Order: sequence, then C-alpha cells, then structure tokens
Amino acid sequence: MIPDTDLPVQTLGTDRQREHWWVGPETARRVAGRTPYATDVPPLDGLLHGAVLRCGVAHARVVSLDVRGARAMPGVRAVVTAEDVPGTNGFGIVLRDQPVLCRDRVRFEGDAVAAVAADTPEQARAALAAIEVTYEPLPIVGDALSAAEAWPLHEGGNLLAEHTLRRGELDAALARCALVVEQDYRTPRQMHAFMETEGGVAIPDGRGGLCVQVGCQSGHRDRLQLADILGLAPEQVTIRAVATGGAFGGKDELTVQPIAGLLALRTGRPVRLQLDRFESCRSGIKRHPVVARVTTGCDRDGRLLAHRVDAVLDTGAYASLGPAVLENYLDHATAPLYRIEAYQVHGRLLYTNNGVAGAFRGFGGNQATFAVESQMDALAARLGLTPVEFRRRNLRRPGEPGSRGQPVRWTRPPAELLHLAARSPLWRPSPGEDPRWLEGTGLAMGGQGNGLGDGLPDAGGGRLSLSPEGRIRVEFGFVDYGQNLTELVIRRVSEALPCAPEDIDVVLGRSDGPDSGPTSASRSTVVVDQVLRAVLPGWARRLCAEAARRAGLPPEALVCGPGGIWSRTPKRRLCRYRELAASLGPVPAEHRGDFPVAPGPTPPVGRFLQLLIATVARVAVDRLSGRVRVQALHHITAAGRVIHPPGYLGQIEGAAVMGLGMTLTEDMPTDDGRYRFDNLDQYLIPTLQDAPEQRVDVLDDTPADADYPVRGVGELGIEAVAPAIVAAIEAACGVRVRHLPVDPDRLLAALRDTEHPV
Amino acid sequence: MIPTGETQSLSFRLNGQPLAVEVPPATSLLDLLRGPGGLTSVRAGCRIGRCGACTVLLDGRSVPACLVPAWRLEGRRVDTVEGLARDPHYQAVASALTWESALQCGYCTPGIVLSLVSCLRNETEPDRDRLAEALAGNLCRCTGYGGLRRALERLAPGRPRASHFSDPSDPTPGGSS
Repeated sequence: MIPDTDLPVQTLGTDRQREHWWVGPETARRVAGRTPYATDVPPLDGLLHGAVLRCGVAHARVVSLDVRGARAMPGVRAVVTAEDVPGTNGFGIVLRDQPVLCRDRVRFEGDAVAAVAADTPEQARAALAAIEVTYEPLPIVGDALSAAEAWPLHEGGNLLAEHTLRRGELDAALARCALVVEQDYRTPRQMHAFMETEGGVAIPDGRGGLCVQVGCQSGHRDRLQLADILGLAPEQVTIRAVATGGAFGGKDELTVQPIAGLLALRTGRPVRLQLDRFESCRSGIKRHPVVARVTTGCDRDGRLLAHRVDAVLDTGAYASLGPAVLENYLDHATAPLYRIEAYQVHGRLLYTNNGVAGAFRGFGGNQATFAVESQMDALAARLGLTPVEFRRRNLRRPGEPGSRGQPVRWTRPPAELLHLAARSPLWRPSPGEDPRWLEGTGLAMGGQGNGLGDGLPDAGGGRLSLSPEGRIRVEFGFVDYGQNLTELVIRRVSEALPCAPEDIDVVLGRSDGPDSGPTSASRSTVVVDQVLRAVLPGWARRLCAEAARRAGLPPEALVCGPGGIWSRTPKRRLCRYRELAASLGPVPAEHRGDFPVAPGPTPPVGRFLQLLIATVARVAVDRLSGRVRVQALHHITAAGRVIHPPGYLGQIEGAAVMGLGMTLTEDMPTDDGRYRFDNLDQYLIPTLQDAPEQRVDVLDDTPADADYPVRGVGELGIEAVAPAIVAAIEAACGVRVRHLPVDPDRLLAALRDTEHPV
Repeated sequence: MIPTGETQSLSFRLNGQPLAVEVPPATSLLDLLRGPGGLTSVRAGCRIGRCGACTVLLDGRSVPACLVPAWRLEGRRVDTVEGLARDPHYQAVASALTWESALQCGYCTPGIVLSLVSCLRNETEPDRDRLAEALAGNLCRCTGYGGLRRALERLAPGRPRASHFSDPSDPTPGGSS
C-alpha cells in the first residue's frame, strides 16, 4: 500500500489481489492457438483470393485504366474497378468521402483503383501487375498548416472542420495573469500496428446477399455502410466479427469489407482478402498528428486564469472519424481537470495527401493532454512551485461542473489521485552510480469520458437466453479484439445471477444479433453493465419461479447457482438449467438503452461518466546517445469497480506502453505525401526490452449497486503517459521536449547546451 | 512467394507426423503451413522475420516461418503449438501465460510460447533475463508485456528482481508495499 493514506487503494496483480484474480476459458484457448481469427484461411469450397491495386502516388488524376490484360490472366475470376460498384462508391463513418475504388482521382498512396479475385494469392498478385494505369500528377498537399490555401482535395476545400470552445472572457483574463506561458506542441502520426493486419472473408449466401467474417469494431454499423456500397438491403448483409488480432481504433472504419464483398458478389464465390503489412502501413488509418500553440496564464498564487489553444489536425485524404476526433481533442484541450476562469480552444481539421487519419485509442484526447499537462509543469516551474502543488491549487472538486459547464461523474476526487501520485516510490532518489545515465521522475494527470458523448446517438443493447442444452447464452454486438470482453461478461453474469462461469456462453460480434453500438469510446463495459443490471434480476426470478413450481416450493426459497436452481436452505441444487430449458424454452430477455448521460434537463455536452488517471514516470536519459529508457510507470486510476482484474490491469499497462511508443519512437513521417516506412523493421513499436516495470493502483470503493459502478478503461492508460515521460526527462536532464516522438539527436544537442559533455 | 512454375517434392515431419508435399521450393514455410484448412496458430504479421507471430520450432529451435523456404525442410522436423500438448516445457509456458493473462488479442501468443519453449528446451535453467532475451523477436501490441513479465517470474523463479517500487533498505521481497 501507499503510505500515509487511508484512501481505498489497491495494487492490481499483487498477492493480496490474487483472490479476485480470474482468467477465463478464452485466454487458455488463445494460448493454445485454438481461437479462429478473421484472417485464417477457411476450408471453403471455391475460395478465391483477393488483391487490391493501390495507386502508389500521393495525388493524381487517373488518365486511363486498362484491366483487359488482367482479366485474361490465368486463374483470374474477376477484376473490378469503380464502374463495378453497384451502390454508393464511398465510405466513411462521418462522411462517405473515401472511394471504395477511385474513378478519376487518387488522393493518397493507399487509394484503391482496382481489385482482383483469383484462384490463388499468387495469381491475384500477378494479375495486379498486368493492370495498366496512367496518372497525371497533381500538386501534393503535404503540410496541414498550409493546406487550407493549397490545391483543394475535395469540393469545399481542405478545411474539413473548424470549431471553437469558449468560456469566460479570455482577453480580460489574460490581461490579469501574473505569468503567461506560450509554447508549441507536436504529436506524431502514430500507427496502430495491430499484429493481425486488416482482413477477412466475404461469403455469398446464394440468395444475392453475403456474410462477411472480418476483423472489425462494429458489425451493425459496418453492415449499413456495406449494404449501401453493394446496393443491397441491410438485411442481406451479415457481419461476423470473429476474433480480431488487435484494433485500437484502426478497424473502426471499414477496411477490406467493401472490396471483398464486391468481389464475392461478382464471382458468386467466397473471397478472402488480407492486407499484407506493406499494404496495411500504406493504406490503413493512423493517429491524427497535431500541431498546437498553447497559451496558459495564472495569477501570482498559481491559480489558472486563462488558457488558449490553436490546433491543427492533419486528417489526411479522407474524413473517416476526423471530425469526431477534433471534438474530443478540443474537449481535452480545455484542461477539464482544472478550474480555469476563461478559455478559448480552437481547432482546425485539414485534408492533406498524407494518408488517412482516424480513430486511435485516446481519440485526440491524449494529444491534447500532452500539451495541457506540459503547460502545467511550465507554469509550476516558473512560479517555483512543485508540479504537485501547482496542480493541487487548480484541480476541480467533485460536484463542480466539467470544463464545458456539463455535469460530470467521477468516482473519486482528482485531488486523491494527485495525493497518491505524490507519494509514489518512484520519486525516491536513485543511487545514481553510473554517470552515463541521468535519472528523473515526473508526473501527469488525465481525465477521460466514456461513450460517444456530445449528445450523439449512443444506444446499446444485449440479450440473455437459455440454450436447449441449458447454457446461459449472453449476446452482445461488441467485438472481442483482445480487451477481455468475454471474460468481463462471464465474470459479471456469474457474480450477479449468480452461476458458475462454466454455465455461460458469450456470443459477440454478430450483426444479426443484438445491436450494442460500436466497440469504441471505452463504452462496452458500461453498456454490458447497464444491460445486465436491467435484465438479470427479472430473468433469475423467471427461472426460480419455474423451478419453484416444479418443486412445489415458494420462489423466494430458491436462487440461481452453479449448474441450475438451488434451494437456499438446505443449500441443494433442485434442478438443472437444462431441465428449465426443456420446460420454459429459451426465456429470451433483451434490453436496449441509451448510454448514460447526465440526469435532468441539461442537453448533453461532452461526456458525463468520467474516469481519472495519474501517471508517474521514472526515466533514465543516456548522456552518450540521447536515448531515453523508461524504467517504471506507476498509474493511479479511478474508474469505478474492477470487474475483471487481469483485464483492467492489461488495459492500463497495454495502453501505457502504446503511449510510451508514441512518446519515444513511433511516427509515420511522410515525404511529399508518401509514407517513409512500410513495415515493422522501420516503424518501431516497443519490445519486451523497452517495456518498463509498471504498477497499477486502483482507487475505489464503489458499491456494486451504485448508479454507475463501472467505467470502461480501454483508453485510460494512454492519457497521461506522454506528458509524464517528458516531465521525467526534464527532471533527469533539464530539457523539456515538446515535439513527439522524442528525437535523441535533438535531446543530445540540447543536453550539450546545458551541461559539460561526458 | 515467387511463382516459379516448378515444384519440388519434399518430406518432413510436422508435429510428429510425416508429411510429403509438392510445392515450389521458394514457398515460405508460413504459406505452406497456412493453406486452406491448414494450421492456424502460425500467423502472418510482417513477413520479414521481425514480429515473431509465425514462429515455429525447426528441429526444436524457434525460427520465423516466413523466412524459411520450403526447400530447406527436407528431412527436418517442424513443431507448432498444435503438436506440443504433452511437452512439459509447453505445459509450463502455457499455464504461466494463461494464469498471468499474458495476452489480449492472442494473435502473437503461439509465437511467444514457442520462443519460450525453445529457450527452455535448449538451455540449462535459463533465468528471467535469458527468457526475456529469447523474446526479443516477438512483438506484442496489446499488453505492454506486463503479464509476460509476470509469467517469466513464474517460469524462472529465483531471487526477486530489483524493483523500482521497492525500498532498497527493505529486506522483504518486493518491499513492504
């Protein structure tokens, strides 16, 4: 435990926690390699292999496209171009501005112009080489900062969205500041780098429709887009989201579904399509790079008065979820954890030829938090206050509205997390024996909301039933891409019904099952909890009533339990779930509800259910190379009850290392609109050797029957990592880094300016 | 794969069973194993030998299958997790990884299992650092490697690692916190 505190805090994964540690059956299946993935090669009769011709140029007019040679190649069953798209030749969750197959213009190197289905993957690739395309180059828009005045990539110009959030009188507040800090911040174009690239199989149903088994994040939403593209009714399209080898937002948008679907309908045969890593790097979405100028001021006591942000987000060639990312960036850029008299937060989202940016864990929020937390440290340093004391003077208290005036629901006061972070063992001075390494510790805080927010339609549902074999079947539309959702559902049902984990079958990710909404925005855990709380008690009563009728006992004397219905005293199983299924049938119970927003008449602004993190980083800076090693990360989290400890721990640790990658190594730079890297030998994600020792503390004593006892933690761990690491670097060597990823050469040069070389 | 048109007859053992195939000699072992209805635990991640998702045991030592051309297989032995159920090293690794929940999406996991089995099989009582080194060629994007670190402690118990969270003056393992 952390000393000097009576707070309800526990460290996950320690011996003390192990009595709550539970690992579900899906984990063992995955270890043994027995879980089927979307990109397995299915043993289907007549399976064809798809391949896509990407343009490979950043911006051009398509002058001619000749596929006749490809059609005549051996094994080729279909070659499709824009002419062959039966419905809308465009996709995109917010705007359908990205062509499935480009007709006369290409806007980034990954744009698709044609696709082939052939008997073997080799034949499909060989056929691509026989397609003749001539391009007439167009001016390349390579820089978001000047994109608004550059050659327009879409009708309406390159400024896709522009928004300002305001509170108070900024100029008046700025005039009263005793101290103002103005700095520029840059964050990189991070790649999701999921281990399983985008892929799946489209299977015609023989009645004009099709089923697509694919790695994705929202079967129901994909179905609507896909039906529109293929000219089908939504009911003719089924999406089966089988196990997905990582997504992190990178499979939120459609990936292979449209082209695989088109080829399957064209040939009447199942078509498998998987992007290889090169193609995934060049055509897949990335995190929005952000360039921001931030001006923040306070009075002489360190009380924040004014805060201004001017940000430019590079959304690349198409919109995808860019406009929603901009909204979330701005929300986080208001510095939601801190009381500030006045702010003006302004952001512009620009089209460029630099790939496509879209959803990525953190969703713009962590880019903003990097700048906000760095500003807090800068003001603290100038005032001669510690980072802890400066934050302590400005943190919001429970009951206060959020930064946008909206009601917010934290599970603990932010000041408690700060208190615990200040007492982290990572602040202990190191022995510092090796003069080569400079060590330092820094902290940052972050807040985050669950759900799509801002009043967007955000409903989710689920279903409970009994199979003929007496299995308790729990269905959600969500996709399990590794976030332990299956385990979470089993854990929650087995505790609340109650029953044995072995009694439960979890069925996820079918577009013909219940619509839970997208598997994104850290919303699944909350939706699962809301649905189960709505249906479980009534469902248990129906089963107990039937068992009571059969046994001739009063229903109150019975409870659900392992394998069936039990009498309370003596504790004895009276009948099995299988017997109830035989007499009652499936007993379906379904619930669908809106994602929780603030009660009362307030129109929803921002997000209501909030969660918090404080991250303390310990780093060592190499005085010879300028490289940074993160030795340890200590996270203090407040996100309600922990339902599945390994899942919670894994989400925080995994997101934190992803944030570490963004801070230290990960970027997809472009040269004239083309990516410089195309595989994992150049784009470096952290390895085991780069991963720090981590500790995750949970601050919580929420009762199970509280209104909103849980939060989703899929994105929380990435929120405060980058600013904590750069704060630790500054503590180690006196250099503050504001451009990510940290450039060792620049850090070394700055180090040499501040000290004698080693 | 480079289509050569010419094929070669090869025989090798896959998970203990003899297997004869007729394939172009440059076919990668990865493609050979993952044909329709083939093995699914050997997975393509990068196809350049960097990510480790396609790791197999070739004559008992871990290699990325994407870099092994078919012609090198003649007379050799290939093992994947499908064939290791009764191997004691496999069982130890699988139970440590499972108990510590050292995975999320699980796509990289069979490769990690095989790298560890190879190290345990071919070296005398490898310690944690050595096991960690054996995983230098296996990338995991989901977990941040936390569960994996805990699993390694189970596989190579011994003196507690120096921790940034424990007080160096505190003699209890891991510190009193």
